[in-house]
Amino acid sequence: MNKFFNWLLLAGSYLRLNLRSHLEYRGAFFSQVIAMILNNSLWLIFWSIFFKRFPVLHGWDFNDVITVWGVTAAGYGLATGLCGNAIALPTLVLRGQLDAWLMYPRALLPHLVLGKMTATSWGDAIFGYAVFVLFVRPDLEHFFLFVLFTLTTTVLLIGFFVLIGSLSFFIGNAESITEQWRFSLITFSTYPATLFHGGVKLLLYSFIPAGFVSYLPAEALKTSSVGLTLITIFAALVMLGLGFAAFYLGLRRYESGNLMDLKG
Amino acid sequence: MNSLRKYAWIAFTAARSNLAYLGEVSSRLIFLTVILYIFLRLWQDTYDYSGTGKLGDFSLNQMLWYLTVTEAILLSGPKVSQLIDEDVRTGSFATHLVRPMSYPLYRLAMCLGERVVRFISNMFAGCLVTSVLVGPSSLQWSGFWFLLLALPLAFVLDFLGNFLVGLGAFWIEDTSGLLLIYSRGTMLIGGVLLPLELYPTSVQPLLKILPFANIAYAPARLFVNPTLTDLLLVLSRQLFGVALLGSAVYLVYRVAQRRVFINGG
Repeated sequence: MNKFFNWLLLAGSYLRLNLRSHLEYRGAFFSQVIAMILNNSLWLIFWSIFFKRFPVLHGWDFNDVITVWGVTAAGYGLATGLCGNAIALPTLVLRGQLDAWLMYPRALLPHLVLGKMTATSWGDAIFGYAVFVLFVRPDLEHFFLFVLFTLTTTVLLIGFFVLIGSLSFFIGNAESITEQWRFSLITFSTYPATLFHGGVKLLLYSFIPAGFVSYLPAEALKTSSVGLTLITIFAALVMLGLGFAAFYLGLRRYESGNLMDLKG
Repeated sequence: MNSLRKYAWIAFTAARSNLAYLGEVSSRLIFLTVILYIFLRLWQDTYDYSGTGKLGDFSLNQMLWYLTVTEAILLSGPKVSQLIDEDVRTGSFATHLVRPMSYPLYRLAMCLGERVVRFISNMFAGCLVTSVLVGPSSLQWSGFWFLLLALPLAFVLDFLGNFLVGLGAFWIEDTSGLLLIYSRGTMLIGGVLLPLELYPTSVQPLLKILPFANIAYAPARLFVNPTLTDLLLVLSRQLFGVALLGSAVYLVYRVAQRRVFINGG
């Protein structure tokens, strides 16, 4: 338990440090946050036009799409806001830039992933929570359940990004493939689950785990299902474990880039 | 003439260098396949649900081919504004000014050369995926030729929009936010995600004359529903858009140039 709080303190310190560094360029930071909120809002306009014309799609309505968007955006925002280096992992490995992180006296992976923040992430996170509260208007129980699911999505996404990013240790240049993989996951996560059947559905609960990112949380929120909630939490922890395992397995194959690098 | 050949050569070099990155090209096609598959499922269910063979004058087959073209256009867009942003931020913009060529035309040539290669590869993969998903298109050959006629000005229009966003770097610290809004504007009010015919009737006339609509919507619509009248209308709207955005680029670029300070020896 003590160890867990230690890690939380570490995450808090990195968050404060990264935020301060971004706020040195206040204009750029806030313009990126606002642009991301506007960007996501444009998607909601698309869905509102769609559902105005076709009110229900296989039992899904506008509020269901808002829910998957809310969970995905908030989860993605928190994941890349807190652990921005998780998506930069392929580049760091490819260029041999892990050396500076290897010198830290504590476990490598947490320091590495926490070391960077993406400004637009906060736009995603704010958008996710705001649209859920404004459009779905949940009661307190559903709001807390929603917050829980944004956290499971955050954990799952961090694990997933580390897992696919670790491919770079094994196949060399994995920048492009991991980027497409990430885009595919986020894209699938923001469309109604009922569109997909058969083999594709299987894919969405394995290689592209959109099912665990947003479909199960949306269903659990709708039905207040304890079973689905537990499955979602379990899936997030398994993905995090897989990410850790893949990273440390791959690290044995890491070759230094012999770069001089200093972290303040 | 000599000057034209210079820019044509830049475009050719950009196209050839883009061809060298086949890995990047093929991974982009994965995303295109995912998007087309999702759209297919979305629209298949929507057509089933609505119980009609046509939505906004589009059959399911036409809708999928329409979206194939709009996505191929959208995903073929090279990084224009990011490069300008970088040139301004790093100061390499100043070194471009002493070269015996116009900076905007240099960027335009680079953009067109790169975009042609990316569009052809996207279209090739898109046609393959869509043919497998909904069968061969019921399209006419004239649609293909009309698309080819509408594409050059569509690419120029998109370039001008991106160039304007990139010039924003002279005034603001980071243009990525502006770019995000511009690209989503192209997607939403430019008809990339759904044809403008499915928008509320009251906003359709306005959306159709905006430059955004003439980048993806108009060429894609000509592809699935080609008529000579529409072709002439699209070309005239594109020319108007190029004149409008071109003037804006000219004015902003002139003001921006005054903000360049060159020091050193």
